[in-house]
Amino acid sequence: MDRGLYIAASGMLSEQIRQDQIANDLANAATPGYKSDRTAQREFGDLLLANRATGQVVGSQSTAVQVDTIETDFTPKPSRETGEPLDFAITGEGFFGVRTGQGVRYTRNGQFTVSPQGLLVTASGDPVLGRGGRTVRVGDDGRVDPRALEVVALENPRKEGDNLVTGTPAGAAGTGQVRAGALEVSGSDAARSMVDMIASLRAFEAGQRVIHTIDETLGKASTQVGSVTG
Amino acid sequence: MLEGLNSAAAGMAAQQQRLDAVSNDLANANTTGYKRVRVGFRDLVYTQTGRSSAEGPRTGAGSAAVDAGRAFAQGVLQRTDQPFDVAIQGEGFLRVKLPDGRQALTRDGSLRPDGSGKLVTSTGAVVQPPVTFPEGADGSNVSIGPDGTVLSSGRQIGRIEVVSVRSPQKLQPAGDNAFVVTPESGNTRPAPAATTLAQGALEASNVDMADAMVSMIESQRAFQLTSKAIQTQDQMWEIANGVKR
Repeated sequence: MDRGLYIAASGMLSEQIRQDQIANDLANAATPGYKSDRTAQREFGDLLLANRATGQVVGSQSTAVQVDTIETDFTPKPSRETGEPLDFAITGEGFFGVRTGQGVRYTRNGQFTVSPQGLLVTASGDPVLGRGGRTVRVGDDGRVDPRALEVVALENPRKEGDNLVTGTPAGAAGTGQVRAGALEVSGSDAARSMVDMIASLRAFEAGQRVIHTIDETLGKASTQVGSVTG
Repeated sequence: MLEGLNSAAAGMAAQQQRLDAVSNDLANANTTGYKRVRVGFRDLVYTQTGRSSAEGPRTGAGSAAVDAGRAFAQGVLQRTDQPFDVAIQGEGFLRVKLPDGRQALTRDGSLRPDGSGKLVTSTGAVVQPPVTFPEGADGSNVSIGPDGTVLSSGRQIGRIEVVSVRSPQKLQPAGDNAFVVTPESGNTRPAPAATTLAQGALEASNVDMADAMVSMIESQRAFQLTSKAIQTQDQMWEIANGVKR
């Protein structure tokens, strides 16, 4: 059957994934320390076309398109003053360490609170790690020295939800300073998301038009070819 | 298909929760001793889309609001010159017994002696341990010291205790400006020595109007943008349905 049908359909499928990613970015427009994504597509694989009678090569043709990766943009964003003693922002690269039930995870969302035991914890209650991987005690004045918090660089960081990131720790080299009383703003850019959303919608629509056109061609082939009056 | 619809809806619900919190703050901009609500957000789980290989592209499921408790920053002290008014300067709460019998904590220090001379808050909660004024005591000869010692005509008749908890963000609001201790907040303990009481003053609400308005606008715009994502996904669904004419 006509390959174009499948290529157009695969294009529509990848636009759907892109829309899902944009909706997630927009939903996190106010999440502190959120990092935005970008959907990258690639060809599924080329097919070499050749003339069946002579064996002469016609050229290569893509068979489909697919979403290759969803890349996260981990570049640091500016921080916003909140005045809360237990809000922290990293100015520069790096992540806070958090000890969760699944092992050590990392985050750039520094909206912390204090546990009944007096430890600095995330909003979900997981202890935040300080220098040397130890937990951090909140002082009697309800404050924590920002220098007591550990900041680590990560190799291959990957978002996991709940503001957490996994990755391989790569030391403290090149990491930024911690500031108390501030939060990093969300990396989600509303204007870019809107533009991407419109572009993706139109690409999706174009895919539908291609399917229609091919359908018309096939219709003609099946009804008019061979017709004497045609 | 079109998980984005749900991600966007989750984002809208999260923004709605923050709008509710901000409206509550604004409504309490003039409530004595009120502490503003601290709302956070988190992203939700990321799941595999398309191919089922381990390292395939993953999309997120939107966001959710996180209750980060209250912001216990000190409110501005307002002079009232009412002898029974006290304002707490620093960390800590007054211990009171609510009319329904529960023990609670409050920073609302607009106190008055009730019919039997017991010191109560403006909502009728009795200060604990009770401070009872002798009959006929009026405000003119009452003095409340920075450590809470209450003197009536120069004679000590009791002490207003100030207590604190380890994790005030985890206190449960009980309405009427009062909080109830929970296992997460830890038990009450004496407030740090730096905490003092100021007689003849009240602590104003710590809601910053400008901040609250900015949060409101931010939430409203985020809500609007996310609703656009729902609209677009709906349009895509319509286009997909139009494939077969």
